[in-house]
Amino acid sequence: MNPVIGGIPVQYLLGLAGILFSIGVLGVLIRRNIVIIFMSVELILNSVNLVFVTFSKALSHINGETIVFFVMAIAAAEAAVGLALVIAIFRHKKSTNVDELQSMRW
Amino acid sequence: MDEIIYMNLETSPSLLLFVFFGTVTVITALSVIFQKNPVVSAVSLVFTFFSLAGIYGIMGALFIATMQVLVYAGAIMVLVVFVLMLLSQRAETMSRYRKHPIRLVLLSVFVLGFFFLLYSALTTGVPHTEQMGKGYENAEYSFPIQGTSTVNAKGNVATVGASTYLDYLLPFEMISILLLVAVLGAVILAKKKLTEVDQTKDTVL
Repeated sequence: MNPVIGGIPVQYLLGLAGILFSIGVLGVLIRRNIVIIFMSVELILNSVNLVFVTFSKALSHINGETIVFFVMAIAAAEAAVGLALVIAIFRHKKSTNVDELQSMRW
Repeated sequence: MDEIIYMNLETSPSLLLFVFFGTVTVITALSVIFQKNPVVSAVSLVFTFFSLAGIYGIMGALFIATMQVLVYAGAIMVLVVFVLMLLSQRAETMSRYRKHPIRLVLLSVFVLGFFFLLYSALTTGVPHTEQMGKGYENAEYSFPIQGTSTVNAKGNVATVGASTYLDYLLPFEMISILLLVAVLGAVILAKKKLTEVDQTKDTVL
């Protein structure tokens, strides 16, 4: 395992990925706009991509970078379906506030 | 492991670039979740994606950096901004938890603890493989062709492409089917029903 990737220590990259993941989780928790929550999920996916590339370089194995490609494709599919759902919900409820989407609350 | 890191700290220009791009990434990511206007959040997210592409470039993952700019900063952000422009957004969209300082502190403590748990798990729980894997040394990837000996692929893009189309051919085809299904589902979800068109002529969408 290489502890340094091109002059950058692995710990710094993992720390940056962890900070990004935590910011994404905080955004999902404190925001009410459904599009902002969607952007926070994109931040989480990007931090996972950074971890994949870091370990691909640190463990000298190319498969991590290949998996990042699949993560990006799945994120694109999720963006298409999720934003279509946002449009459908907005047409139905006239709102993008997740606090007002309570019709499935028991 | 530690002495190598401290030895390289002052001599590497790529570390300075990493510090710059990492700072831009964190600041713009915080701006994404704390801005009131969702369009400003979207623009901040574009900057986050570009600086992450810069970090991938420093690490030598050129194919991933290119795809980051093309897919995330291009395609997905166009979708997000398109939807933001379609919907009529109100200004205040922060959660009610933010109005109570104790709840905000509790949430922040939870997220900070989550971060340290994640960080310690990532830095200590990795299995240290002793053998070198394929595809990294001199950016070369030797793959077997049926009937002949192995063939080498050189360069980052060629190695990632060889790995995609040889080791991950079935997942690649499944991803294409998934994208087709997702696009069809998005069209079905977002289109109006034909019976609703006459009654809702004057609504926003």
